Amino acid sequence: MKVGFIGLGIMGRPMALNILKGGFDLTVWARRAESMAPLLEAGAKGAASAAEVAAGCDVVFSMVADAADVEQVALGVGGVAEGARAGLIYVDMSTIAPAAAQSISARLLEQGVTMLDAPVSGGEVGAISGGLTIMVGGDADAFARVEPLFARMGKAATLIGGPGAGQVAKACNQILTGVGVLAVAEAFNFARKSGVDAGKVREALLGGFAYSRILENHGQRMLDRNFKPGFKAWMHQKDMNIVMQEAHRLGLMLPSSAATAQLFNAMVGSGLGEEDSVAALKLLESLSGE
Amino acid sequence: MGRPMAGHLLAAGHALAVWARRPESAAPLAALGAQVCATPAALAQSCEVVISVVTASADVEALALGPQGLIEGFAPGGIHVDMSTIAPGTARKVAARYAERGIGWLDAPVSGGEIGARDATLAIMAGGEAAVLARVQPLLACLGKTVVHIGPAGAGQVAKACNQMIMVNAIQACAEAMRLAGAHGVDLHKVREALLGGSAASRVLDVMGDRMARRDFAAGIQSRLHHKDFAILMEEARQLGAPLPVAAQTWQQLNALMAMGGGRDDTASLLRVLEPGPPPGTDKG
Repeated sequence: MKVGFIGLGIMGRPMALNILKGGFDLTVWARRAESMAPLLEAGAKGAASAAEVAAGCDVVFSMVADAADVEQVALGVGGVAEGARAGLIYVDMSTIAPAAAQSISARLLEQGVTMLDAPVSGGEVGAISGGLTIMVGGDADAFARVEPLFARMGKAATLIGGPGAGQVAKACNQILTGVGVLAVAEAFNFARKSGVDAGKVREALLGGFAYSRILENHGQRMLDRNFKPGFKAWMHQKDMNIVMQEAHRLGLMLPSSAATAQLFNAMVGSGLGEEDSVAALKLLESLSGE
Repeated sequence: MGRPMAGHLLAAGHALAVWARRPESAAPLAALGAQVCATPAALAQSCEVVISVVTASADVEALALGPQGLIEGFAPGGIHVDMSTIAPGTARKVAARYAERGIGWLDAPVSGGEIGARDATLAIMAGGEAAVLARVQPLLACLGKTVVHIGPAGAGQVAKACNQMIMVNAIQACAEAMRLAGAHGVDLHKVREALLGGSAASRVLDVMGDRMARRDFAAGIQSRLHHKDFAILMEEARQLGAPLPVAAQTWQQLNALMAMGGGRDDTASLLRVLEPGPPPGTDKG
């Protein structure tokens, strides 16, 4: 099976490397030529455009910033659809709105390309270790064919449903992690202002019903005052925006998500956008008289 | 909104030509003597100033820049005054395209609703060049009682976004007060009347409080339009990194109202979102 990978940033580069290490024949393309260098050194072939990647491959992945980028890669001039041969499977692993994924998927299908939306959770650490969680929407046969490749990048890939369903799962993931990080920050700020050691609170709660991965990992980083990304606050703001736009479109009431999205807005507006989203704690502290 | 506004211009003795996407919308004005044009371009060709009131950013963009759009018909020196509520970014974009051809632009959204349009008492907030505003001031004077020049292109829409945010947040606050009074079993009319004499008095409490007390939810302004406005202003706030926590909650209440099927009702229906359980048979699951 010949595999293509488009978009070789913080996430895309290690994901593509893991496919290469699995012994697959890999062709890559990135907008910035220098992003391709580490992959070419490791033995991947370089292409001059997304269309050229598609022309030589059975499965093409992309990992880019937003819906406009995916649209460009998939359907733009020199894009995947232009070069695709019959039966190509295109797997977009970026985080975009479910509605955008559905629309791009439908237009690709008209041109004979099957698309899976397959956003991930697990961040840069998961991308490097091959431990990502992959949430997939689209055709079941296509999913089965791509599964060996997902296995190189992630420890779990789940077919959630039809086109866009992977992005719906990712939006749910962002609701839980966004609201969750904020809940931990609020609890720690509450403890501190009450004169109680937040570290001891965390330790005690880890054994109880409030246990969560976020309390364990993000909580520890808050205690260490380690605000290095990780997952940047502006990226979480972008993802919460997808959630809020879908809520608007569908007629959905999401009060906690709405409050969380506003706190991320405040972080970006007060210069914390480049820090990890656990820096929400700093904002809460400064708004609580610290 | 557009029909009574156009009527005022005719009544003031201006030569009026009109275009509407649906020809039947133009019929009442044609009956009063307005010339009906087949396309926006044809309208711009026959006018010095074109005023528009449409629904969404995309509508204004299509009207101005699309095929057969105003830009194709205007002579240099022509002016487009858009009185719709749209995104500031769209206003800036259209203004820039017009400027390349020497066409003037004003974003001039209004506050005051259908009543203000009918009585020519609208509050008009204008964005664009002062010289352009000066030229159309006599026309705007036929439509509203105040015209404030806020700043360059887009600034009128920024002011309108602020207006929408304050107003719908106030409607939500009013709905919550009416819900609280109602839950206590207290007479809503009396609560409203008492508060209007005190420091919580506001136009919203006056008008919307009355609608809520009478349970008159027929629009007025359809809530789906406020819902649309909120999407615009929340998106702008996100891009600017400005937190709007109260507005974000109001937006969710509007989302719930849309889900209840209340989009074509007045925004006073925000009261209904706070009331227990939908009546049997209206549950859309």
